[in-house]
Amino acid sequence: MKLSNIKDSIKNFWKEFRQVKSGIIGLILFLIFLFAVVFEPLIISFKETNNVWRDITYWEDLPRNVPPAWTNLFTSRKSAESMEIDDPEITEQQNGNLRILTSEFTYDYQSYNPPQDIIFRADGTGSPMIIIEIVRPDDEKITLFQKPVNLGSGNDVRVSMDSNSKDAVYNFLSKKVPRSELQKINKNLLAPTDYLFSVASEDFIKNREPLNGIYKIKVTSIMQNEDANISDPYIVLPGSVYGLLGTDSYKRDLWSGVVAGVKWALLIGLLTAVVSVSIGVLYGVISAYLGGWKDSLMMRIFEVFVSTPLLPVLIVLAAVFKPSIWTLIFMMCAFFWTGSVKTVRSMALQIKEETFIEASKAAGASNLRIIFKHMVPLLIPYSFASMALFIPGAIVYEASISLLGLGDATIVTWGQILSDAYNSGAILSGIWWWVVPPGLCIALMGMAFAFIGFAADKILHPKLRTR
Amino acid sequence: MFWKYSIKRVLNGIIIFVILIFIYSILFNAQLERTIYSQIDEQVNGELHNLNTSRMTPEAIENWILQRRETLYKSYNLDKTSFERIVMRAYNTITFNFGKSTIIKSNSGKRDVRSIVFEAIPRTLLLFVTAMLIDVFLGILLGIKKAQKPGSVLDKSTSIGTMIVYGMPSWWLGMLMIMMFVYALGIFPSGGLHSTPVPQGEFAKFVDLLWHLTLPVITLVILGFWGRAYLTRNIVLSTLQEDYIMAARARGIKERRVLYSHGLRSAAPPLVTMSLLALLASVGGNIIFEGIFSWPGMGNLYWVAVQQNDIPVLMANLAVTTGLYQLGLVILDLTYGLLDPRIKVGGKA
Repeated sequence: MKLSNIKDSIKNFWKEFRQVKSGIIGLILFLIFLFAVVFEPLIISFKETNNVWRDITYWEDLPRNVPPAWTNLFTSRKSAESMEIDDPEITEQQNGNLRILTSEFTYDYQSYNPPQDIIFRADGTGSPMIIIEIVRPDDEKITLFQKPVNLGSGNDVRVSMDSNSKDAVYNFLSKKVPRSELQKINKNLLAPTDYLFSVASEDFIKNREPLNGIYKIKVTSIMQNEDANISDPYIVLPGSVYGLLGTDSYKRDLWSGVVAGVKWALLIGLLTAVVSVSIGVLYGVISAYLGGWKDSLMMRIFEVFVSTPLLPVLIVLAAVFKPSIWTLIFMMCAFFWTGSVKTVRSMALQIKEETFIEASKAAGASNLRIIFKHMVPLLIPYSFASMALFIPGAIVYEASISLLGLGDATIVTWGQILSDAYNSGAILSGIWWWVVPPGLCIALMGMAFAFIGFAADKILHPKLRTR
Repeated sequence: MFWKYSIKRVLNGIIIFVILIFIYSILFNAQLERTIYSQIDEQVNGELHNLNTSRMTPEAIENWILQRRETLYKSYNLDKTSFERIVMRAYNTITFNFGKSTIIKSNSGKRDVRSIVFEAIPRTLLLFVTAMLIDVFLGILLGIKKAQKPGSVLDKSTSIGTMIVYGMPSWWLGMLMIMMFVYALGIFPSGGLHSTPVPQGEFAKFVDLLWHLTLPVITLVILGFWGRAYLTRNIVLSTLQEDYIMAARARGIKERRVLYSHGLRSAAPPLVTMSLLALLASVGGNIIFEGIFSWPGMGNLYWVAVQQNDIPVLMANLAVTTGLYQLGLVILDLTYGLLDPRIKVGGKA
């Protein structure tokens, strides 16, 4: 078989494949995934996701456990979107050797659910005193934070109201609410923004009503020494909705995680399928061609591999050897190759009896030549079909291993996202945006290859074709 | 003839099982021994704690520890060569002598690995066999309907269903089902075998068990029966294209009769194989699904053992799973041989 022959057979195959609608749908889905891999840097929201997925500090300015932003479209009670305010009105005052820097941020609050937190960020040196106050639309003024911060010779300032102003907000509440009501809340579990952005009334705690309008957040930094300084101040308001797919309880952007997982799923699926089907086809052909005791021996070895329950063995191997992703792929290949051997062997047994094999034998062709030049090429279409059907299996197995917490911790895979979700109790707290997208991606990718594989199968086994 | 074939097949299964256990021993022996060493250290320290050490010199204590360790090493055969140890480990596994677990305890509170694993087997079988029976029944019913009119709307749409669930992890669907039916609607329990406290009376207990069984079984059936239907369709469709079916039709036999008595008779062996294979595939690929529903079977045991890093339980569970899998394969071949006499003559697969 020459190269042009293979080209022809592929061309013919494509001609038939085009007729099968489901195959085309599968191909389109596959191309979409491929697109996501190639253009990952453009569509991902956090470029460094691949390196920082498990780095909690990287994600600290995002909200925790919030649904995707588009959920606002389906409810009349809108949630505040995440935003950054970096255009404060800055005024500077010199008072003796005290330098006072005031930055005033304006926040227009127009939703029902308040932002999760107010975070003040800046660059700074020395040990300035920082005072953060908020002026509400009803002219209530609350001092949220008042402390000197020690920054040394240059550091990021990060002051989160959620962790630093619980006392201040509790005091504010105690002025508005009768004592009996106040006892109902735990000071340590109180979420400051719930009350900061609500109408101050007597039943503040029971019936929260949002207080919409312009909020002024005033940050005053008092610097005593020459070396103390605060620059580039900005405020982050992690909303109560976020991005395309929301965030998880580690405050990570799930869209970035899911997109970063595409390439690993494709790699795991494709590599495992290509390697194991190639091994399987060669094994089957060689076994059939050699025949006799060699065939029996090879079939015995094959039987041993077929008789292992795959997932349990993989789990134990992964638990004992703590594999990297490459080792895991290798382990999967070591068991997946058996899948195509039986069919290939019976096909090869038929091919072996054809006259052209006999002819080339008579012409003095070597065994290797006959196997690789005459037998394997005939099995190529079948190999492609079975490769496509192997891919979903490989992806699911990796995800299952990851679900048990045995995956490669240096990468982001869908299975690992689901594992985190399961272990953080996302299922029983109904955080669907953490559970649905990664699993749906696994299912969709599986579906894409199933469509392709079944379509190819239909072409290769015309007997099953619908009349 | 069938007896000869059966004995051959059973022996073959046993040999493969023994080979696999040997391979496991070679692979995992080092890790397992590490656990035994630490168990021995723990035991020696415990004994030292109970010993009256006030009159002993530090040297004597040291000596005592060394001696005690030595005897324990000997009793666990750790003084033999590594080849002997691997053979011994394999022998112990085959005779179900799994030793003691590190953390996990059985229901009766024992740390005997054998009872831990063995009490999980019936629960796994209950779950997967129930699911398999329902899913095969539905699958065959739908498959025949599909084969009757290939290319019809029903056939095409259900075939697409097959492909949609093809790459869907069963445990993910389980998660969604729990979110839907447990969290949102609250009509099923979130998992486990029984409610706590376990209801009194045999009947109430049984109903409670069924109630807990429903959601995982539904999940497995939703995922499984499409594939079963697709396979049934292919099998029945290729039988329906045989000449004798055409002959039967030509003789004017009713279509129902052609389908059910002529068609299904010869399609039966592959259908039985398919059902058993479905069960085996569950053991080989779906088993950790139990963990999501905290169904205390073997799959859940993998989960727990991995989390607690209990190596002896993990190994024993693997050996038992492999044994069951092997048993399933043997039963599969035997029933196939019984249903399709042609197989026996060929002997070899």
